[in-house]
Amino acid sequence: MIRRRRGPASRRGGGPLAGEGRWAAAFLAPTILGLALLSAGPILATLAISLTKWDLLTAPKLVGLDNYGALLTDDRFLKALRNTFFYTVVSVPVGLAIALGLAIALNTRLRGIAFIRTAYFLPVVTSTIAVALVWQWIYSADSGLLNQVLGLFGIPPQKWLSDPTLAMPSIIAMSIWQGLGVNIIIFLAGLQAIPSDLLDAASVDGAGSWARLRHVTLPLLTPAVFFTGVLSLIGSFQVFDQIFVLVKPRPTEATITVVYFIYENGFKFFKMGYASAASWILFLIVALFTAVYFRSQNRWVHYQ
Amino acid sequence: MSERRLRMARRTIFLSLLIAGGFLMMAPFLWMIATSLKTRAEVFASPPSLFPVAAQWHNYPDMWNALPFGAFFVNSFKLAALNTVGQLITCSMAAFAFAALRFRFREPLFALLLVTLIIPFQVVLVPNFVLYRLLPHPFSTSGNWIGTQEPLWVGAFLGGAFGTFLLRQFFLAIPRELGDAARVDGANPWHIYRHVYLPLAKPALATLAIFTFMWSWNDLIDPIIYLRDIESLTVTAGLSLFQGQYVGRWPLLMAGALVSVLPMIALFIVAQRHFVRGIAMTGIKG
Repeated sequence: MIRRRRGPASRRGGGPLAGEGRWAAAFLAPTILGLALLSAGPILATLAISLTKWDLLTAPKLVGLDNYGALLTDDRFLKALRNTFFYTVVSVPVGLAIALGLAIALNTRLRGIAFIRTAYFLPVVTSTIAVALVWQWIYSADSGLLNQVLGLFGIPPQKWLSDPTLAMPSIIAMSIWQGLGVNIIIFLAGLQAIPSDLLDAASVDGAGSWARLRHVTLPLLTPAVFFTGVLSLIGSFQVFDQIFVLVKPRPTEATITVVYFIYENGFKFFKMGYASAASWILFLIVALFTAVYFRSQNRWVHYQ
Repeated sequence: MSERRLRMARRTIFLSLLIAGGFLMMAPFLWMIATSLKTRAEVFASPPSLFPVAAQWHNYPDMWNALPFGAFFVNSFKLAALNTVGQLITCSMAAFAFAALRFRFREPLFALLLVTLIIPFQVVLVPNFVLYRLLPHPFSTSGNWIGTQEPLWVGAFLGGAFGTFLLRQFFLAIPRELGDAARVDGANPWHIYRHVYLPLAKPALATLAIFTFMWSWNDLIDPIIYLRDIESLTVTAGLSLFQGQYVGRWPLLMAGALVSVLPMIALFIVAQRHFVRGIAMTGIKG
């Protein structure tokens, strides 16, 4: 059975393609099952569960929007929201700016540059738990490396991970360190795609290296910046591993994030409805931020 | 002073800054190695020194025997391999359908798949847990899939948005004429998938394999939610348990952390270009 479709595909439709629908169903069967059971279907299930009170042991009880109401007056959840926002608005722009500067610096043909690039990329492939363990030791209040080094300059030791004002910035610093490599690679790919005749033309017109960077390279790089921005934005709302490893035994109100809140309520307290409601709020916030970010693009992103 | 000398000086400063930055990036790893070879007393010495007075190699067997790390490694390898195989098979099948076949609902189905790429996976943690709790399991003490390793790999055999997207992009670049020519010769879509598309897509398949392996190896939240018995833990979950049991024993903890990342560092060194291409192509984080 062939369905006439709009678009270029239909023009080529014809005899030898008969029965493609059935083949497609066979090729897509695992994917469709996965969508229904594990990704798209469960998003709706989360919404349904969020309207109930459910501990998994007794039957779920329908409570309407009570979970949402309770969340909005739950101080720990509001703190988790605030911390997640803080994490996002600091780590995304700072991480992008550092990566951008480094990518421009690393975009040279010097001997040994590949080796330096590898150094920047190594934290990306190693698990957060392993690198967070060494950062926990670096940040350790008693004899951690950071306090020891600062001590050489006469700066008194700080409680990097337990002081409420220092904890989140410390976690952000580690996350930026771990994520730099990914952004650098995307920026490097963008930089290498810039046609060299554009830069040459600017030189001929008398533009110095700063002017070339400011008026040629950076505008042409804005699509790459936009793209890494989306990924960093979505990723930063999901921050969990760092919190789980760095802040022991469990995060305080200064360090809890939304995903940790979901984990804690769902899988430690078995408040499935409550955790689901928090998941949906997270989903809505990510969707909203992503939409606003996408709408901002025609103000600053230059497509060639 | 000549302009040439000035340029040389600028270049030297620039390169030294880059090397200093690279060193700063590597510093946590160097500190990890150094600490793993120190005594417990030495780690608290002030001022700190990078090199241990005498390398305490026994920290490594001590760490390895403190918890069943051998089993953790076997589990992580097994799960990463299963995830990789599952993703390679089912994502390439779906990508082939989206790239080379014509069928009803192709565009809306692909759009739905793309939406799941943007959604934070934590949003579906609860319903997935509920689903695995409903599925019967013959060998589990709970009677369902909770406490078994199955939730950590079975889903990989049900496709995936990232892999399908990556491979579809690659398949779209394969000239349709190749498939059409095979069709005229009587090949069915399975033959075309198996003998035309898959052999041509080896670089993209390698990229997907490496990323899937790395994500599975580094995954933390799923193992700590689903696994119960110590013998069934992955390296990440085992390291988390180790962290809880050996608080403040930095040399042993650092030895454990270092051993746990070695397979990924080895994979990265062997397959660096695949990593770089995968990220540049899709921009997806590690």
